[in-house]
Amino acid sequence: MKEYCLKSAIIFMAVFGLLLTTNALAVDKVVLGHPACLSGKFAKAGSQASWGIKACVKWINEVNGGVKIGGKKVPLVYKPYDCESKKEMVTSLIGRLATIEKVHGIIAAYSSGLTLTGAPVAEKYGIPYLSQGGASNRIFQQGFQYAVQVLSPATLYQAGAVDMLRKADPSAKRMALAFEDSEFARMVLRGAEKHAKELGFKIVFNRTYPKHVNDLTPLLSDLKAAKPEIILGGGHFPDGQLFARQMSDLDINVKALSMIVAVTLPAFREALGAKTEGIVGPAQWEFGVKYSPAAAKKVGVPWFGPTNEEFVKLAKEFSGGKTPDYHAAEAGAAPLVFVKAVELANSVEPDKIRAAFNKMDLMTFFGEFKINPDTGLQTRHSMVVVQWQGGKKVIVWPEEAATGKLYYPMPTFAEKAKGKVAVPR
Amino acid sequence: MIGIQLAGNLTQGLILGGVYGMATMGLSLIFGVLGVVNVGHGAFIMIGAFTTLLLFTQLGLSPIIAIPVALVIGMALGFFFYYTVIIRLTEAPELASLLATFAIGTLLEESVKFTIGTEFRGYNWDVGKISLHITTLPMSKIYAFVGSILIALLLYLWFSKTRAGTAVRAVMQDRKGAGVCGVNVNWIYALSFAIGIGLTVTSGVLLTMFIPVGINPYMGGAYTLKAFVIAVLGGLASPYGAFFGGLIFGLIENGTYTLFALVPSLEPFAMTRFLSFLILLLILLIKPTGLLRAK
Repeated sequence: MKEYCLKSAIIFMAVFGLLLTTNALAVDKVVLGHPACLSGKFAKAGSQASWGIKACVKWINEVNGGVKIGGKKVPLVYKPYDCESKKEMVTSLIGRLATIEKVHGIIAAYSSGLTLTGAPVAEKYGIPYLSQGGASNRIFQQGFQYAVQVLSPATLYQAGAVDMLRKADPSAKRMALAFEDSEFARMVLRGAEKHAKELGFKIVFNRTYPKHVNDLTPLLSDLKAAKPEIILGGGHFPDGQLFARQMSDLDINVKALSMIVAVTLPAFREALGAKTEGIVGPAQWEFGVKYSPAAAKKVGVPWFGPTNEEFVKLAKEFSGGKTPDYHAAEAGAAPLVFVKAVELANSVEPDKIRAAFNKMDLMTFFGEFKINPDTGLQTRHSMVVVQWQGGKKVIVWPEEAATGKLYYPMPTFAEKAKGKVAVPR
Repeated sequence: MIGIQLAGNLTQGLILGGVYGMATMGLSLIFGVLGVVNVGHGAFIMIGAFTTLLLFTQLGLSPIIAIPVALVIGMALGFFFYYTVIIRLTEAPELASLLATFAIGTLLEESVKFTIGTEFRGYNWDVGKISLHITTLPMSKIYAFVGSILIALLLYLWFSKTRAGTAVRAVMQDRKGAGVCGVNVNWIYALSFAIGIGLTVTSGVLLTMFIPVGINPYMGGAYTLKAFVIAVLGGLASPYGAFFGGLIFGLIENGTYTLFALVPSLEPFAMTRFLSFLILLLILLIKPTGLLRAK
């Protein structure tokens, strides 16, 4: 009897130990939570993000067959809750996702401010936290262990545009910087200023404007007096739209205007029409970028996920036919890299997933992915620069990804009003 | 050079201030007559902005045509909300009317969100520019400014020259006394609320003529905040005071920008907002009835 009890205990311990070491056996689904900005001030970007994520989750479940873990494929479940673009909602929803929904990973809310707000909560619960719309470098300077950046950091946002303009016009000197006073835009400004000075530009105007601004006339009047040749500016969509419109109102003509966020969105053109001709802007992604399984093979990294065309087609199923922009693409890349990390870790344990992220070097339709192992900051993904030419967005930088040439200098607003377009001959 | 920039910004500020003033007159009228603080004010401005946008983009109609259309829509909304909600709250504690108008504002914002969407929209109405030595002024801004002055003038004439206007003034001064003298106070309440909302919706048209971008369901919040500052500046229950309060606010907001920019390492925009609210605080402390309200 005694021997029988001992044997039973050993068998029980062995089975229990096996279950503990290969917890993957117990996993029947992988859950990804998301405090999504479906309403409020970031609703536009948040809706795009939602379409992108849903498209890639569908690809993972239907084309990839799910998430491979413990020798079998389990479904990826996406749990979004509307955070109303509010900080207090982000923190409470991350708490809910961690404690009630028991998610295995969290996709951060859109914007650097909301991503930074939610990061300590994700850290508290020890859940991998994917920044898909939080470009600010500061998020990754706080010592968070579970934060991982999918998109290019803010300090590199305008680097491509500055390089491109220096190459287009080696004699250009006078540059003005005017950015929104937000976490993200401050970082863009810092990176742009440093890089521009390195390339020999003289900063003749350097100011910020508050969030939710509804009149930029005083700032732009002073900017005009500084007589810049090139302007770098912007913050988010509404202020970017306002910036370009009021530049036109005040007849401020420069050789080049590069603005973050707003320029890349079709609504920018819809609201401003021909005034957008020649305006450039950096983008995390643009349809037509040359990321493909062949490109991945060329640089020697594995490819994962849908192709550009497949992604756009899938995203349109959720957007009601609207074309996805880079907000959708950067968000869509988040579940792809998360799933790859889970598969590599063969576990849903947070520390194993985070360690797997450090080993990853891959390409998706959004571009390359590799992080700094210590901080989680994105190091491999690169931005593209687009320009409005004849009513269409054309990728003009970097040269290897470009689908057209830069039109420089930009037509004046008076010329644009008379019908001149920024299409190179 | 600084003088030119200052003069340019003051000119822009005066024009914007006129539109701000117009956008506050409705708030002051409603408070003055009914004692209701309309915290949903910004949502009605948003309705005016969308009226302009839709008439322009869908029917190709000029924003000038949108002015009477918005006035009619605004007055219809005013009568509707008065007889369905506000009528029950004229004698209720102030908190009840605050909550009710907040709810009305939210209802309007969410209705527009569900029917039109949350995108920031804009329209292109180019009718030329005037290049002055000190600044450049689009004609659309000048039209908005002239429109604001004309509407303020019409309201003044209506108040001072018509029987209905006299009755409104009587109710503002003493509602019981006016009732005893045969004024139908309930009708005056309804009319004042409808005119107040009509003016607010119309101001949405004028604001988009000044700034024809950033039109979205939640755009009104920023204007509500400014309207309260302007209303206090001009005297919360005085529609004319509100108009002049708007002019002063516009001049302060734009004019001080150039001056603050002279101080190194200062972000002028942050300081102009600080100054606006400092002035508000000082007025509340020194002359709580507002600068332009008669005793």
